[in-house]
Amino acid sequence: MMLSPCKRELEVAELLAQGGWPNACAPELRAHVSTCRRCDELILVTLAFKKDRLEAIGVPTVASPGALWWRAQLRRRNEAVERVGKPILGAQIFALTTYVLIAIAFLAFQARNGIGWLTWLEEFPQVHALHLEALWPSAFLSSGWTLLLLIPLLATAALLSGVALYLASEKGIGSRE
Amino acid sequence: MTWESVLPNALAGDAPRAAETPMDSDAFAGFYERSARPLWAYLARVSGDPSLADDLMQESFVRFLYASRPASHFAEGEVAGRRYLFRIATNLLRDHWRRPKVSSIEEAPQEFLAASASSVRADSQAILGPVLTLMRPRERELLWLAHAEGYTHKEIAEVTGLASASIRLLLFRARRKIARLLLEQDEKCGRQS
Repeated sequence: MMLSPCKRELEVAELLAQGGWPNACAPELRAHVSTCRRCDELILVTLAFKKDRLEAIGVPTVASPGALWWRAQLRRRNEAVERVGKPILGAQIFALTTYVLIAIAFLAFQARNGIGWLTWLEEFPQVHALHLEALWPSAFLSSGWTLLLLIPLLATAALLSGVALYLASEKGIGSRE
Repeated sequence: MTWESVLPNALAGDAPRAAETPMDSDAFAGFYERSARPLWAYLARVSGDPSLADDLMQESFVRFLYASRPASHFAEGEVAGRRYLFRIATNLLRDHWRRPKVSSIEEAPQEFLAASASSVRADSQAILGPVLTLMRPRERELLWLAHAEGYTHKEIAEVTGLASASIRLLLFRARRKIARLLLEQDEKCGRQS
């Protein structure tokens, strides 16, 4: 399809935009329109659309602007809450990672000193079966009080971080709702 | 540190954004009053579905207010603000067309448009209604923006996201097509009467 430009198209378009067609149109331009297919189509289509627009804008019953304003503010606020939630999620991930690292370190420590544990486990039923001292593993006594303190400490840390994670998650879910 | 103590700070972070927008709720109410109906007309005629136009119009205004830089659009004046609003509406309309089975706006079957056009016809007795159902959605967009809203090619490019250079040809083709359909419709009506 070839684009055949018409030099007077802009003139006709301006006249239509100002609502000057056909009354304010010069006879000479009107004569041009009657011979120019492009200008004729422009007038036909523009008038049809303008008429339809006039009819269409009378149809809707528009909602209250206040409700839309409120909805936009609410959405903005929710976005702010979400923005706040991101660092908290990061803190939770950090806490969980720390906890896992501590657990790994503990297991590594135990693996290095594991022989003592195994020895104690093997000896337990035979040698110290009915004595209260039997509850104290020999590995403990050999490595001193360090391990005895480390285990409850790690257990407490694990318990507290679990509780902290749970509370933070609950709070996060609650505030999002 | 609780959420409640953090939240006001985060909201305060929005303060510069809120301060830079010259639009308060009263200004918005005025803008809404002047823009809602033309926007609805655009959405209803392009989609062929008045109830969809209702939904998309509201969503367009909410997104307009929620936009990251409303000030920059509105600082250029209400005309620029309205153009931005039409752009949001056009994108929403395309998202809507993409969501169902059809994969793109261009592939939307015209039968679907024709089926939902009866309500439009009920709203308006204009001759344009039935003819619009025979046009592709993109052609409707271009024609409406150019001839009903009176936008220039550059403005249409801004609203639709198409290249400014291609608007001229697309619009020319669409106008030729609808002019032919309008004449045919006119002849049909003439014969019936």
